[in-house]
Amino acid sequence: MSLADSLAAYLTRVRGTPTTVENLARISGGASRETYRFDAVNGSDRVGLILRRDPRGSLIDTDRRVEFLAIASFEGKDVAAPRALWLEEEGAELERPFFIMSRVDGGEAAGPFTPDAYGAHAQTIGERFFSIMGKIAREPLARLPLAQAAFAPAPEHCWRRELDHWTGVIDADESHPQPIVRAAIRRLRRDPPPPPARIAAVHGDLRSGNFLHDGAGQILAVLDWEMAHLGDPLEDLAWAMDPLWSRPGDPRVSGMVTPREALEIWRAASGLEIDAKALDWWRLFASVKGQAIWTSAAKAWADGGMTEPILAFSGWFTARAQDQILSRRLADLGPL
Amino acid sequence: MSPKLPELLIGLAVSLLRPAPPEAGGDYAAGRVGLMASLLVLASQEAERGAAARIWENAAIAELLGDTASPPLQATWSELDARNVDLRRALIALHISAEDRGDRELQTRILGLYEAMAHARRLELPG
Repeated sequence: MSLADSLAAYLTRVRGTPTTVENLARISGGASRETYRFDAVNGSDRVGLILRRDPRGSLIDTDRRVEFLAIASFEGKDVAAPRALWLEEEGAELERPFFIMSRVDGGEAAGPFTPDAYGAHAQTIGERFFSIMGKIAREPLARLPLAQAAFAPAPEHCWRRELDHWTGVIDADESHPQPIVRAAIRRLRRDPPPPPARIAAVHGDLRSGNFLHDGAGQILAVLDWEMAHLGDPLEDLAWAMDPLWSRPGDPRVSGMVTPREALEIWRAASGLEIDAKALDWWRLFASVKGQAIWTSAAKAWADGGMTEPILAFSGWFTARAQDQILSRRLADLGPL
Repeated sequence: MSPKLPELLIGLAVSLLRPAPPEAGGDYAAGRVGLMASLLVLASQEAERGAAARIWENAAIAELLGDTASPPLQATWSELDARNVDLRRALIALHISAEDRGDRELQTRILGLYEAMAHARRLELPG
């Protein structure tokens, strides 16, 4: 049975009405799950949907339930989250676990390495982007479905939990010694950040390229919630500010707004103050986390038969760019 | 470093030969081809600079370690990478030792070497 037929059978069951699937097409939508767009059709009723299915090999091993609940947490919260519809953790009907969410049409996702990806609308998009990030941080946890599935660390343990996790990824997946990222990890451990004022939802991969925009300054949908978790809200801010997401020589954060503007917008939207020492720590951490992801990509590429170019690209070009960023930052910080 | 150039080229060949399912055509297929084209451009940079970067890095780390053994006059990429594994492990140990002893001068030299290593291994996207 084809994927379209299997999907139609599944939708017929869960919707309780005969459903066919049309225009099924794989799209680029994050490297940790296979992403497909399709129309669910019943007579004259046609609904645009997105399928996110676990791959056989993945860039990062993430929990699809957490991703699903993270999306569900922010529906209708003015952060451009899609609508989470059905989650199948066993996933027998499509061979692997999957979930389905609403599709947002009419938008495009800029490549993270595309020069001047937002053109004349960069400022407007940047203001909305950092406002969305602040609103995610502002949302009280008690009302979020994400809090049902994600562990809430004590504020003073946020940094260690994240650093331990991503160090573990490097330990597990590294095929060649990486002295630069190891030096950064040691520095982070020696000088932890102050704890956040409160634990917040963290998108985990909120950056240039992970949202749809309409080409006229509007953000239509925030994508790729697969690394969502609870933690220090500065983690998202620091991740988006990593120089990796800006073209060399472009002083703007992710090619959108200046760092000062990004911080001011986020502060206003989140209602949180920004501790400079904490942000510095999370910015160095962001490059470590990035290098862990790229290290994992290289392993996934090799383990998966070397057939996914995005994994090779991440594990090679992006890893080397991240090493340049990390080594410059370490040199700026100087000896311990 | 991973992926290595020979593996990468084999992977691209396998990717091109592998038939795609019907739902993975169109824009997705075009995106894959574009990405493979970018990888080939990067591969050309690695073919041009990769051996020199490895030879230089191995010599620079060996010098910092005080390793006076003469490098072989001829070596394959695999042999250079194997030597690099040993040298990088020793460099990490030296850096940890310098941090523990508070040897700021040596730490500064090592941090400078890291910058030079990352620069030597750089890859540059076209455009």
